[in-house]
Amino acid sequence: MARVYVSSVINGRSDRVWARVRDFNGLPSWHPGIAESRIENGEPADKIGCVRDFRLRNGDRIRERLLGLSDFDLFCTYSILESPMGVENYVATLRLTPITDGDRTFAEWTAEFDCPPEREAELVASIGNGVFQGGFDALKRQFGGESR
Amino acid sequence: MIRIVRSTVIDAPTDRVWAVLRDFNGHDRWHPAVAKSAIERGQSADQLGCVRRFLLRDGSELRERLLTLSDLEQTFSYCLLETPIPLFNYVAHVRLAPVTDGDRTFWEWRCSFSTRTGEEAEMTRMVGEDIYDAGFSAVRARLAASAGLEGRA
Repeated sequence: MARVYVSSVINGRSDRVWARVRDFNGLPSWHPGIAESRIENGEPADKIGCVRDFRLRNGDRIRERLLGLSDFDLFCTYSILESPMGVENYVATLRLTPITDGDRTFAEWTAEFDCPPEREAELVASIGNGVFQGGFDALKRQFGGESR
Repeated sequence: MIRIVRSTVIDAPTDRVWAVLRDFNGHDRWHPAVAKSAIERGQSADQLGCVRRFLLRDGSELRERLLTLSDLEQTFSYCLLETPIPLFNYVAHVRLAPVTDGDRTFWEWRCSFSTRTGEEAEMTRMVGEDIYDAGFSAVRARLAASAGLEGRA
């Protein structure tokens, strides 16, 4: 099983960052890699089990199921149902934790999945550097430069 | 039950921060409130269940038991056994996590306890500021100083 872990510091209070990322249908509003998204069957985006169907800027289409969402612990867990990436059993979690020293947010994005061994390094890099770090870089821009 | 959570980011990789924090008998070398530390019964400081005895700068003594220590998760937890301060059922957890974006360390220190009626605010302030925030500052300064020494060497 391959594992990806990427973490960052966002210069905004965790409730404000959470308000941005909580919407399971909201990736296009903050993630630069995502062009459009919809929730299947007209379900609310915070109904556990709902499926988002989104399209990347490169044209790829991905369907993901919401497995868990917590407004208390500030995390969102989802799995991939369909994608051109060639991964199996893909489960990812985006989690926020307050940094009390300075009203900042510690953001962690993890994924586990199965894939052919020869593709693991490439997939870990593209998911970690592209999707996850790309999302964090966008959030860091949106919430302003980090003050230390 | 009072709960306190304090967290910060240290400008060093988790391994360097963990090397300082991991020693359950080493807090007298970095925490400004602790004058002396010893492990009872000659046990090793990474023996789960070992008890450390602190002499604080203000002259008071306290004893704490190691409840969890994980080099994999870079976490430890401990509870107070005896203290002259009114902290009851005090259990604390420390955890480190890597900030991969910059090779820094997220450090969280949390606890729960109860105290005497009327002393909640003072105990909350004392633990959060005098112990946790002061500990963050001390480790940050210590690591900055050792990085400076390495830079000169």
